[in-house]
Amino acid sequence: MSLRKQTPSDFLKQIIGRPVVVKLNSGVDYRGVLACLDGYMNIALEQTEEYVNGQLKNKYGDAFIRGNNVMRNWGHCSPDPEPCCLEYSVLLSPQHIFLLLVAWKLEL
Amino acid sequence: MADDVDQQQTTNTVEEPLDLTRLSLDERTYVKMRNDRELQGRLHAYDQHLNTILGDVEETVTTIEIDEETYEEIYKSTKRNIPMLFVRGDGVVLVAPPLRVG
Repeated sequence: MSLRKQTPSDFLKQIIGRPVVVKLNSGVDYRGVLACLDGYMNIALEQTEEYVNGQLKNKYGDAFIRGNNVMRNWGHCSPDPEPCCLEYSVLLSPQHIFLLLVAWKLEL
Repeated sequence: MADDVDQQQTTNTVEEPLDLTRLSLDERTYVKMRNDRELQGRLHAYDQHLNTILGDVEETVTTIEIDEETYEEIYKSTKRNIPMLFVRGDGVVLVAPPLRVG
């Protein structure tokens, strides 16, 4: 669990294909495999699951999330029993929006 | 030869999320919006702002009413059908293939 300084594009190449949690401003969580990401923080996920308090809906195939909804400041992630947890912080966009993406191993 | 290289580049480079929604064009699509609204309709068009044109769309508005006496939360959803709809992009949260119930 180390914060590494790397360029945003390197970070993006590294996390594409990893399971991630995307937290929205509304408090809804989307967990899925990161298919791709662009400069506006628009996100495409595969095998997405939506969590609002408890599990609500399952989305299979691509789910596209509009970038402005992604939570800007995510101070800490909820305690997670999975042992393998990598934290990255990345600087994206000219407005200096910090995005914390937590990649963890999905239980298969 | 140059054409092959170019073609390879367009398929090998990482597609943007918007390129992936392009695959859903003319297909039934689920759109989740702000203010607890959901749309299911045929995706006719969209742009970089996520302004969207949907046809044969069913809108579901979900509201939570709290009973004053019992303080229980009652989920209510209102549906309506619209033949052709323009959606302004800033209200869109998520775009996905139609939801399967279950």
